[in-house]
Amino acid sequence: MRKNAWGMTRGGLFCCGLMAAGMALQLAVGPLRWDALAWPLNGVCLFVLLTGIVLMHLCRRKVRLFRWMATLQAGIPAMLTCAMLTVLMGVTRQVPTGHAPAEPFGITAMLSFWPFVLAYFWLMLLVGMVTLTRLRPRWRNVPFLLNHLGIFIALVAGTLGSADVQTLRMMVAEGKTEWRAVDVRYRVHELPVAIELHDFSIEQEPMPVFKSDVTVYTKNGLVVRDTIRVNKPLAVRGWKIYQYSYEESRPEVGDISVFELVRDPWLPYVYLGIFMMLAGAVALFFGREKDDSQQAEGFDKGHNVSSPVLAHNSQERSELTSDSNSILTSKT
Amino acid sequence: MQMISWNDLWLFALISLLLWVAASWLSLRGGSRKAVCLLAIGGLTVFGSYIGLMWHSLGHPPLRTMGETRLWYSFFLPLVGLITYSRWHYRWVLSFSTMLSTVFICINLLKPEIHDKALMPALQSPWFAPHVIVYMFAYATTGVATLLALWQLCRKQDQLAAIDNLTRVGLSFLTVGMLFGALWAKEAWGNYWTWDPKETWAAATWLCYLIYIHWRRCRPAAVRPALLWLLLCFVCLQMCWWGINYLPSAQGMSAHTYS
Ligand code: HEM
Repeated sequence: MRKNAWGMTRGGLFCCGLMAAGMALQLAVGPLRWDALAWPLNGVCLFVLLTGIVLMHLCRRKVRLFRWMATLQAGIPAMLTCAMLTVLMGVTRQVPTGHAPAEPFGITAMLSFWPFVLAYFWLMLLVGMVTLTRLRPRWRNVPFLLNHLGIFIALVAGTLGSADVQTLRMMVAEGKTEWRAVDVRYRVHELPVAIELHDFSIEQEPMPVFKSDVTVYTKNGLVVRDTIRVNKPLAVRGWKIYQYSYEESRPEVGDISVFELVRDPWLPYVYLGIFMMLAGAVALFFGREKDDSQQAEGFDKGHNVSSPVLAHNSQERSELTSDSNSILTSKT
Repeated sequence: MQMISWNDLWLFALISLLLWVAASWLSLRGGSRKAVCLLAIGGLTVFGSYIGLMWHSLGHPPLRTMGETRLWYSFFLPLVGLITYSRWHYRWVLSFSTMLSTVFICINLLKPEIHDKALMPALQSPWFAPHVIVYMFAYATTGVATLLALWQLCRKQDQLAAIDNLTRVGLSFLTVGMLFGALWAKEAWGNYWTWDPKETWAAATWLCYLIYIHWRRCRPAAVRPALLWLLLCFVCLQMCWWGINYLPSAQGMSAHTYS
């Protein structure tokens, strides 16, 4: 227990150190520029991250630090740090994405706030290390792997991939073809896809829905004719085209339809992670933890309104009943 | 075949509700589990057929108006209730789901004007109803876990097994709700996670519950801090659910203002 307690304290101290380092970085170099991470740099980061995790895992017998990284004593303080920073984000008014923070520390642009980024990075590293320790193909490892590998994949693909997400607005007048679009900072981009707007209309039934009748052309000769409406985006060659809004008919140009074009090359991996976690949640719902089989009898009778369905073993339970308020007393 | 309409709702609803109430009553009395499940499935079949027939006569899935969405609530709530019951045998759970379902059926019967009140387009999505329903169940299971935790803290009675289990079930619902939300947001807005205040609080809440289940494995003997933490988790959940509507930092920031 002594050792465990030390493990958890170390986890906390480590996170404090990480926060301090993050704060220093923040003051030294300013908020993290996510867009600097665009391909191929994020690919390099991914390679370094995965190799690093595997190497640390392989050296775990020699290096205590690496062994400790795959334990709950390291993981819980990391989750706590992330939770606290997330709550801090929840109680501060955030500036829109891509804007500079509204105060000197940078917490109003939390996603670019170094301590926040480092905390989540640490969590990601730990969950990656934990995953490797249980990679053996056993049935009872499956729920564990779905949850932990799932969140690892989703976190990695979501964060590293974020710089490659392109979100652009394109305005097309009726009868015209457009291939230029602007990003959030109003920079103009020429795209490999062009949209020709045949007709823009507003469906009134059962409530106003904008829809655009379009033909989409791509550079390599693909031509798609379709209707885009709110909630019914069109997918063409890695781009998703959403109906965003419209501008009232102006005498000289007619209706203008505004589209949002989104490209997210890492999305399949994020989805992979999300679906693994969904399966993991189902497993969490239906699963029993080890050692509860001998108690299944008791719970099947269900005498109690909230029939105790056992999430832990009997030894633990008797220990708790006999001694439920002595905090942090231990098995030693 | 004759087309079915809102006017026929009361008949289907009445039969389903009778079956669900019978199931709830039987399960509260600790009756045969098989009979409980059969009654609940009977109710689901009747209500499900109504939705199916409506779908058929509308020519599109009934997802476009408030009233149509409420049909799905009334259907899925008892379904999730039944799944939870058949897995964990909590006797109260069917009464809870039947009660909620009744509320939505009554709204549909008593306020027919909502049948025509169209949803904003972003909400007309197949992900919407499951997202909301799963969260309702998460609120219910974690709510009961919180009450039991309070009970144990005050009365020193061991409820830990049930608390742990409800929290696990609650966390799995929270996870599903959150991820359905992400998939839906991707479909509707092109971005699966925008860190708007609701999503931020959802992430914080999820992390807090995650800490609880990991803490319980790590320090099974440190019960009191775990239970106190669980209370904090529930506060966080309340923040996520309705608290942010009153939070100054979240005013005018959320895409979730309709909720
Ligand atoms: C986010 C970072 C996470 C970290 C650092 C982490 C860390 C850990 C660690 C160290 C263990 C103990 C492993 C062992 O005893 O072999 C564990 C177990 C567990 N974790 Fe996580 N975890 C994370 C996320 C999650 C998520 C997202 C879930 C589910 C929603 C989850 C559910 C569980 C469960 C159910 C166990 C016990 C399962 C078993 O032993 O089979 N964890 N976790």
